[in-house]
Amino acid sequence: MARSGLAHAVMVHALLALGTAVAVLPILYALQISTLGFQDVFVFPPRIMPGGAFLDNLTRAWEKVGLGRLLANSLAISLAVALGKIVLSVMAAFAFTYFGRFRGKGFFFVLILITHMLPLPVRIVPSYQLMQSFDWINSYQALTVPFFASATGTLLFRQFFLTMPPGLSEAARIDGAGPLRFLFRILLPLSANNLAALFMVEFLYMWNEYLWPLIITNSDDMRVIQVGIKMLVATDAQAEWNVIMAGVVVAMLPPLAVLVLLQRSFVRSISLGQEK
Amino acid sequence: MSHGHGTYTRIVVAITILLATVTPVLAQPPVKITLWHAMGGARYDAITKDIAAGFNKANPSYAVEPLFTGSYAETVTKAIAAIRAGNPPHIVQVFEVGTQTMLDSGAIVPVTEMVKPGEIAFDDYIAPILNYYKVGGKLYSMPFNSSTAIIYYNKDAFQKAGLDPGKPPASFKDVEEMGRKLVASGAARAAITFGWPSWMLEQSHALANRLYADHDNGRNGRATRVLFNEAFGVEVLTRWKRWADEKLLAYGGREYAPNKAFLSGEVAMLMQSTSQVTTIEKAAKFPVGTGFLPRIEGQPAGKAVIGGASFWVLKGKGRTPQEIDAVVKFFKFIAEPQETAKWHQETGYFPATRTAVALLTTQGWFAKHPNHETAFKQIQEGPDTPATRGVLLGNFVQIRNITDTAIEKALSGKLSPKAALDEAAGEANKLLDEYNRINK
Amino acid sequence: MEGRFPNRVLPYLLLLPSVGVVLVFLVVPSIQALRLSLFEVSPFTGRGTFVGLGNFRELLASDVYHHSLSVTLVFATAVVAAGMSVALGLAVLASQPLRGLAMYRVAILWPYALSPAVAGTIWALLFDPSTGPVTVAIRTLTGSSPNWMMDGGYALAVTVLAAAWKMLGFNVVFFLAGLQAVPAEYREAAQVDGAGAVRVFWRITFPILSPVTFFLFVMNSLYAFFEVFGLIDVMTQGGPGGATDLLIYRLYQDAFVSARWGIGSAQSILLFVMVGALTVLQFRFAGRRVFYG
Repeated sequence: MARSGLAHAVMVHALLALGTAVAVLPILYALQISTLGFQDVFVFPPRIMPGGAFLDNLTRAWEKVGLGRLLANSLAISLAVALGKIVLSVMAAFAFTYFGRFRGKGFFFVLILITHMLPLPVRIVPSYQLMQSFDWINSYQALTVPFFASATGTLLFRQFFLTMPPGLSEAARIDGAGPLRFLFRILLPLSANNLAALFMVEFLYMWNEYLWPLIITNSDDMRVIQVGIKMLVATDAQAEWNVIMAGVVVAMLPPLAVLVLLQRSFVRSISLGQEK
Repeated sequence: MSHGHGTYTRIVVAITILLATVTPVLAQPPVKITLWHAMGGARYDAITKDIAAGFNKANPSYAVEPLFTGSYAETVTKAIAAIRAGNPPHIVQVFEVGTQTMLDSGAIVPVTEMVKPGEIAFDDYIAPILNYYKVGGKLYSMPFNSSTAIIYYNKDAFQKAGLDPGKPPASFKDVEEMGRKLVASGAARAAITFGWPSWMLEQSHALANRLYADHDNGRNGRATRVLFNEAFGVEVLTRWKRWADEKLLAYGGREYAPNKAFLSGEVAMLMQSTSQVTTIEKAAKFPVGTGFLPRIEGQPAGKAVIGGASFWVLKGKGRTPQEIDAVVKFFKFIAEPQETAKWHQETGYFPATRTAVALLTTQGWFAKHPNHETAFKQIQEGPDTPATRGVLLGNFVQIRNITDTAIEKALSGKLSPKAALDEAAGEANKLLDEYNRINK
Repeated sequence: MEGRFPNRVLPYLLLLPSVGVVLVFLVVPSIQALRLSLFEVSPFTGRGTFVGLGNFRELLASDVYHHSLSVTLVFATAVVAAGMSVALGLAVLASQPLRGLAMYRVAILWPYALSPAVAGTIWALLFDPSTGPVTVAIRTLTGSSPNWMMDGGYALAVTVLAAAWKMLGFNVVFFLAGLQAVPAEYREAAQVDGAGAVRVFWRITFPILSPVTFFLFVMNSLYAFFEVFGLIDVMTQGGPGGATDLLIYRLYQDAFVSARWGIGSAQSILLFVMVGALTVLQFRFAGRRVFYG
């Protein structure tokens, strides 16, 4: 038993190491470029070992575009949108799964789902005009509120709630609990894994958003991190990849922190316990 | 004594009155004008810290606020959105291929209408730079960052191949002969590469004084038909294809992607924009030489065309006279010899005026940086005709994509050069028809 | 199979925020944009001529559009298949009750932390035909020098890889979360020899995973059809020679870059109808097979 246990562990680690290495290689490459001096970026054969210029590149990137402010802005809107999406999609999924049929149910479900099928580039100018009419141009509201609905979250939680045994809500009703109490006391704690997963992907989604913040903000102090990274890329000039990648490394840190903090939640076991 | 007191009092009173009248003016917040641009990287510093800050310091009652608004395409789209929503910026930087679109937009104020005669020394401007943005004798936008294309080459590789490192190829035949030597000697893996394939096709036409589109390259009425699929265009593409077949040409993608191949020493020659000259010199670990773009033999003498971008003034509701004056003063500022010379030194874009060029020459700049002078010399030589002024096309961005695709198809052998260009011309003409319908 | 609550008004209240946001911020501007599909308009004035179904006819008759459609179908199928299968394998491995797997989980999720533009840039550098480390490695190992700027098939493969790689984190996260519903004794099933492990996987693990798998199937499809234009723009610009000319990229070029709003909106409607039909089929066929327990 112990020997097959060890062989099993070794095999798992080996396969994971291989898969992970491939997944992480491009990022390691970016990291390595961020440590090189400008000329070393273009030598041939390409350098594999890191250089010593990371701090120089980082300082240049930081000062040139004001990374501090950009990180703060992106942090604020990514948190707000992630939380907003979770709240709205849990509510919506709950409505779709625990109230039987009601008029418009199918229509509303489709409506929320099609948000992914209405690409921003097509509706950019009418959306800008809408923001103008709300007087929301260059505001935090414009950067967050339009993103609060989530097809991803709604579908995810609908799928999850459908796996819940019907006895769960029956038991709650017998005890006299209303739907909202059922949601908060019973369903949400059971959804911990999915909540963590959704928070992570939505935070990252908003963190990586480029086009909407570019179009809807008109001042340096409202700029987000992705636009800042783009600013490091020179138009018409040879891109200073080393400085750009230093900026990219910094831009990756908050999402990485979120990843590290949340990854344990994805694999924490839940026991459904009770009636099973 | 009373006289002394009296005089003293009068002086104090006078000063007080003076301060009282002047202070309100000094205490006014500066009149703000907004400038949306696409200059990232090192250029961001140049436009923000040098140009904008310099202007604001020299004109304390005005303040130009530059804002980075993405790529050229993103900047135009953002400007369109702002125009439609009713709050456009004062100035927007638009790439040269957007010229026809801006001309037809109805949203701009031509520079000629804003600037009083003699207020800005347009006569001092280097003619081709101004002529690109002039239609029917009127100047519509303010040239800012202009470039052209040249050939860069690796002097070390040339030496290794037994070629004269001071002599770049002047013709397609030179490219072929020198290229074979470069590859055979092992000095480089491939002889040549180029970025911006569509632009290079346009340059080839201009260098041979041939029109790229009808209606005098769209300068005498809107263009309705492209001409790049005529015999000349096919000849250019056929020669490029031959280079590819002989493994002399290593196509590395559009825009600036091929630069890495040149900088690493893998490819010995690079046809690319002159806006890169400063950073290419900085990035290369070998001595870089430059030369005029090689031409096809036996063609009429033409001239290389301008690329880059210019500043357009957008109409806006409630623009005050001070705002308009601020814009004019800003344009005057960037036209000043030391400003445009500094911009050139920092970026590699052209110094815009002859005075600026003279300034740089006396400073010994060109003697120390001969590569920066190459581009400038190239646009001095040759006739000024519609074919050399640059083509104006509606839907030009899309047409460039179409020709890029055609060139790629021909180089990879998917289609013959003639078939590829015919296919592209068909689509381009449809786009021109659509554009002309919309902008009747 | 869900236990129902009798409230009649509460579901509407719960849906109000989502529906409200979607209608106001997404649907209304979309309708304004999409009605332009029946026109040829100038972007600066919004005025134009009514052309009825002319834009649609032009698209459906165009060879370029047909080519784009076939490229898109190949691309989407490959991205969904590759992305999901690799992610499932990695998730199963990473959810084994062993020590020390946390760092793998973080590392695999890492690519999702990059924006599409940055991811595309890094891949473009890696595969640069002259200086990219991958190109050099391939050259050293096999002697051939693949140039994805010249070889359309290779370019398509590289972009598929980049797109699937980017979604790895997303897929692994939800597979991991979904695997939590599989009882622990079955997750250790890899310890059982060979055929037994596979049987356990298909009989027990996969059905339990099916709600998540269906969710990911739909999300990955939407991603492959709608979200990759940033990646393509940075890597290939639809080239070489149209080899990676996806429908969403053409849409982005026409609607956003060239401001050809009429034809751009028409493309958007066609894409919407296509993917909508696909999603309906997904719900009908795959959705029915989902085992909710």
